[in-house]
Amino acid sequence: MNEGFLRGGHARIEGVGQGSRRAFLARLGGGLGGVGLAAVLGADGLLASGSGSAGTAGVGRPVAAPARPRVRRVIQMFMNGGASQMDLFDYKPELERRAGQRFDPGAGALVEAPTSEPGKVLKPPFALQRRGASGRWVSELLPHLGACVDDMAFLMAMQSRTNVHGPGSYLMNTGFLLPGFPCMGAWVGYALGSECDNLPGFVVLPDARGLPYNARGNFSAGFLPVTHQGTIIQSHLERPVADLALPKSAAHLGGAAGEDALRALGAINRLHRERAGDDTRLQARIEAYELAARMQLAAPEALDIRSESEATRRLYGLDDPATEDFGRRCLLARRLVERGVRFVQVWSGAGGPSNNWDNHKSIVKELPPMCRATDRPAAALLKDLRARGLLDDTLVLWNTEFGRMPFSQEGEGRDHNGGAFVGWMAGAGVRAGASVGETDPWGWKAERDITTPHDLHATVLHLMGIDHERLVVRHNGADRRLTDVHGHVVRGVVA
Amino acid sequence: MEKNRQWGVDAPVGAAVGRWLGLAAAHAVAMGLACAALGADAHWAYQRLERRPPPSVPGIRHPVDAFIESRLREAGVPAAPEATRREWLRRVTFDLTGLAPTPLELEAFEADARPGAHERVVDRLLASPRHGERWARHWMDAAHFAETHGHDQDRVRTHAWPYRDYLVRAFNDDVPYARFVKEQVAGDVLFPERPEATAALGFAAGGPWDESSLRDIREDTTDRQVGRYVDRDDMVSTVMGVLASTTVQCARCHDHKFDPVPQSDYYALQAVFAGVERAHREYYPDPTLTRRRRAIRSDLERVGRKDAALLLGAAAAEEVKAWEGDRQGAEASWKVVEWDRASAGGGVAWRRMADGSLLATGENPERNDYVLEWRSAGSRVTGLRMEVLPDPSLPQKGPGRAVNGNLHLSELKAEVRDGSGRTLEVVRFARATASHEQEGWRVAAALDGDEKTAWGIHPREGEAHAAVFELAAPVELSPGRTLVVTLLQRHGGSHTIGRFRMQWTGVDCPPEALPPRIAAVVAKAATQRSDAERMEVAAWLLGARLNRELASLPQPLRVYAIADVFEPDGSLRPPPGPREVRVLRRGDIGKPGEVARPGAMACVAGLPSRFEVPEGAGEGARRAALAAWLTSKDNGLAWRSAVNRAWHHHFGRGIVATPNDFGRMGATPTQPELLDWLACWFRDEAGGSMKSLHRLLVTSAAYRRSSRPPEATVAADPANALWSRMPRQRLDAECVRDALLQASGRLDLRMGGPGDMQFDMKPGIHVTPRVDYTVFDVDSAAGARRSVYRFLFRTLPDPFFEALDCPAGDQMVGARDNTVTVQQALALWNNAFVVRQSGWLARRLEREPGDTAALVERACVLLWGRRPDVAERETLADHARRHGLESACRVLANSNAFVFVE
Repeated sequence: MNEGFLRGGHARIEGVGQGSRRAFLARLGGGLGGVGLAAVLGADGLLASGSGSAGTAGVGRPVAAPARPRVRRVIQMFMNGGASQMDLFDYKPELERRAGQRFDPGAGALVEAPTSEPGKVLKPPFALQRRGASGRWVSELLPHLGACVDDMAFLMAMQSRTNVHGPGSYLMNTGFLLPGFPCMGAWVGYALGSECDNLPGFVVLPDARGLPYNARGNFSAGFLPVTHQGTIIQSHLERPVADLALPKSAAHLGGAAGEDALRALGAINRLHRERAGDDTRLQARIEAYELAARMQLAAPEALDIRSESEATRRLYGLDDPATEDFGRRCLLARRLVERGVRFVQVWSGAGGPSNNWDNHKSIVKELPPMCRATDRPAAALLKDLRARGLLDDTLVLWNTEFGRMPFSQEGEGRDHNGGAFVGWMAGAGVRAGASVGETDPWGWKAERDITTPHDLHATVLHLMGIDHERLVVRHNGADRRLTDVHGHVVRGVVA
Repeated sequence: MEKNRQWGVDAPVGAAVGRWLGLAAAHAVAMGLACAALGADAHWAYQRLERRPPPSVPGIRHPVDAFIESRLREAGVPAAPEATRREWLRRVTFDLTGLAPTPLELEAFEADARPGAHERVVDRLLASPRHGERWARHWMDAAHFAETHGHDQDRVRTHAWPYRDYLVRAFNDDVPYARFVKEQVAGDVLFPERPEATAALGFAAGGPWDESSLRDIREDTTDRQVGRYVDRDDMVSTVMGVLASTTVQCARCHDHKFDPVPQSDYYALQAVFAGVERAHREYYPDPTLTRRRRAIRSDLERVGRKDAALLLGAAAAEEVKAWEGDRQGAEASWKVVEWDRASAGGGVAWRRMADGSLLATGENPERNDYVLEWRSAGSRVTGLRMEVLPDPSLPQKGPGRAVNGNLHLSELKAEVRDGSGRTLEVVRFARATASHEQEGWRVAAALDGDEKTAWGIHPREGEAHAAVFELAAPVELSPGRTLVVTLLQRHGGSHTIGRFRMQWTGVDCPPEALPPRIAAVVAKAATQRSDAERMEVAAWLLGARLNRELASLPQPLRVYAIADVFEPDGSLRPPPGPREVRVLRRGDIGKPGEVARPGAMACVAGLPSRFEVPEGAGEGARRAALAAWLTSKDNGLAWRSAVNRAWHHHFGRGIVATPNDFGRMGATPTQPELLDWLACWFRDEAGGSMKSLHRLLVTSAAYRRSSRPPEATVAADPANALWSRMPRQRLDAECVRDALLQASGRLDLRMGGPGDMQFDMKPGIHVTPRVDYTVFDVDSAAGARRSVYRFLFRTLPDPFFEALDCPAGDQMVGARDNTVTVQQALALWNNAFVVRQSGWLARRLEREPGDTAALVERACVLLWGRRPDVAERETLADHARRHGLESACRVLANSNAFVFVE
């Protein structure tokens, strides 16, 4: 990273705080808690406001000075594969009326499916019921989440730009269809830094069965400093975080020898600095090792759920093999945000043709296990966060990369549909019980008050006190934003 | 990575924040003025190169120093003193070869008091094969090269590496820059006799590829069309970003907002690549074979898309006629084999039917082998024809005995035995044809010696099918001899044959089995056939013949590259020619505008913006025209781009700080006269020799300066905009790893070939494999070669390299990040690689004489390029005495003196 970044040591950002440690973290070029140059400049007010035209100052336009951001932390649950909107949340009686008929939306509309020949209209095989005071429709497959609808705000008419997993997942995560762009968690970390100095600011908890489509591409820091990329924690493994500890074969270098070695390293690095003269990076490296040592202690503690009560473990479904994996990761997400991690992603489903939300072959057979695995833990997360007061400044998101078709594929499955899908959010800053947007009578295409992935991103940034149009980094000739050149805050879901 | 650094160039600590912000603001004002007052075309980058002689500065002979010194003196900036010899040697050795100087090299250089010592070192380093390895990696960054597709189906590209090898060779051979560019854009067209120029085409294909959109989803979807535009966008961005430092891709949806690139120019560039896809391109060391294979593939492509000009042409008609002539009579020569003995396992009983066929009855085992014997004195056999026949007694009427009536013939074997049952001859078969083949269960599988593959007939159960097995050489069945035919059916699920009949022939060319639709047409008189029927027969016949010809060629070399002709894969097929590219309004596939003609950017002074490509010249002519445009002597953009990249890697920052962007959003040159002089010198005097350019730059006094400047220097040139000193640089990921291998004595200098997979790879759930870096044995052979030979996984990059800012191949990177992070500290501190090299280094040292202090000193020379001072040595020796030399080596591998180059 450039040295301008390093010199962000004088950062003052509302909601981030000051103090010597914070300043040091910023100087570290990220460290665990780097603060974006954009934010730095904004805070100093030196390039604040101004023309706003990207052609002039360009880089370093400030993040909007947050009017006390409601959200300090985000947990995003991501349903990998394209969760079926009409089978889960978007009740469409037309599908029942026309079940088995040829799908004809009228007006000569082009009906195509990306991987198959469009089949007949397929009605949801499982009942949707009105739940809560808000009367939101929810599938009988999600009884626990159904009980939480009055805490949620629904984006009923989300729309993608593609019907393909790779680009679709990139779009939902990074705002671009192509690889190589920073994801939302990275942008947030870049803009706001971390709230703790012994854990990473952005953590990804992938499904134990494997990484999602695009593998680690979805958690990339793109052209932002690498420190902002998602740190993958594979909680089901013996060594959940890469390089957090010495390999077993090198145990003799750890323990007291390791502590002495760190001291020796500090000593010779300080001697070197005396020879080399003033260079922030030399000091930053010395301090990076001190921080690393702290993280080696803090991370295992954060991941150790043995201290959780039996009731909590049951709440998250750790007592049931079907919910154990997603439940454990939801619980970890809570423990991480509790300790100041800024952004946590919990994934449901790995890439590939099965064991995810990509239900091409059979909604009847493939959807229920995904719902069962996630319903109780996701609801538990909301309840637990609320009980601990964390929901007051934590935003919870439930998303997927696109929806599915109102007509069938191979009889009882559904093909990809970027035209419409559903997402919901809950927690800090969210207008509970709200619902924005509407699809056509078949749930085929979003029709009214459409929410694009850029709109979702703009809304999340807004809730965190960031103006998405001002969080900008110049890269290869373009001023890049999470929202590209799009995005509007969805006011209807903001409290 | 490349970001605009005009606001943060190497300013020293303590520089007033306001000062550099002031610089940025001044720059912004300057840009605004440029836009307003000078108009679009006046931007410096698009101007013709202007050559002014270096300023005359007393006492300065080196032209680069003349430019630098004159500015320094003008500004009254005292330059930093010269670096020590050891510092310079470490700097230039990492810079030119990516490795550390050896203790012997350090000593020799310090002792070399003769004039020209520096120049001799530079010549030695440039002549080393290590040089090409180092500079190839810079180019791979810029081209965002990796060896998997990226996206959701991150498939391995088995032959991406020949492009990497091409780069290593090209830099080592000092291929003149213009030819280097031409080879990478149109090497197949411009240098058809040089196979390595075909490997160069990996350049524009090095980036990600969306397999789902371009191979798997339906051809007729909008997503497919979008996928093609997006894919060409990456090719255009790569070529123009790397070779012309231009961000044309910003003009995809609208005219470029900041640079004079209208949408029409952008789509003109897309049109240049309209005839290629990314695929494994086939070629041979012998260009005649390459041409032969391409011709066959081209014809196959035409057959595949039912090209009427080919299939209704005179040549095809002649071929069909000759073939039918040969078949006449031959078809009538088939005679039914009357088996003398038939046996089967598992309680199967045979019933002989009136037509000479056998019907299996009784038990229906999972698997079976039928052994059939035929004694036919005096027969000469050249082919066997097996009919599998439906029967009301079979499931779904057969002809197989599986629940759905299918069958799987795993292998058909035959041998000749004498009267005593001794095998005299194993019959070899030349090929098999069938009237119908199940997808993925071809009849050739019955001859491939693999019992896991088989011939099947799904979904056309309930019908008769035939397979013809042509013998490689005639078999003479003299009296007393028996032909034994064995039908292996090992698949399971009772996929066995229910009813079959065998026929034999002795004609020289046994007539192949025909699909029913072909047989039906052939049964008609030629004059009675419709055009569609004639095309169908011709397509079938030519397709079969071309595939045979293809199979008869030796195995080609392959490179993952841009390709117009290649083996089809799923619905990814060779384009029939350049596809139509339209100017998309707002970049929207639903708003196509005018058809784009191939061309490039109009704003570059003195060059044509549209290419004169003759009608029907083929897509290659378009790329050749772009190659000529990019290498024209008048293309100031391209020559400036080339020298700036070299300058960037030597000096840590380009004269233009944004190597991939010379537009208005990029940085402005700090020394425009020097940039232009270098570009002209490189183009003319040096003839595009990159080694000459390197030699020129690293033998300058500017390059010899210390990175520990006196305060007065920093005060006068805080951002080092005038190159008053050399920047201190953190070693990049490859240098860290390679230098540790070098110090531990484990470095394997073997060059080239497939990438070393430094991870464990298992099949994934779908396409993307499971990749685990943690279980890789760093002591294995695959862990010892230089980092440039690592296999590069795009969506699953090596975390160790990632922590050290090595790009993953998802974005073009002209200038890497140089971060200092906690994750990096953890990686260097705990990663098995560093730990193991520390162990090897300690073991290597322990074999040498001397006490602990001496060994520690030796380790410092290996890793730091210098001896430690007393305090350093005592700290390390004390640690080594208490915890072992290995632990001290681990400390050294993590030390600032190792990871930074002065």
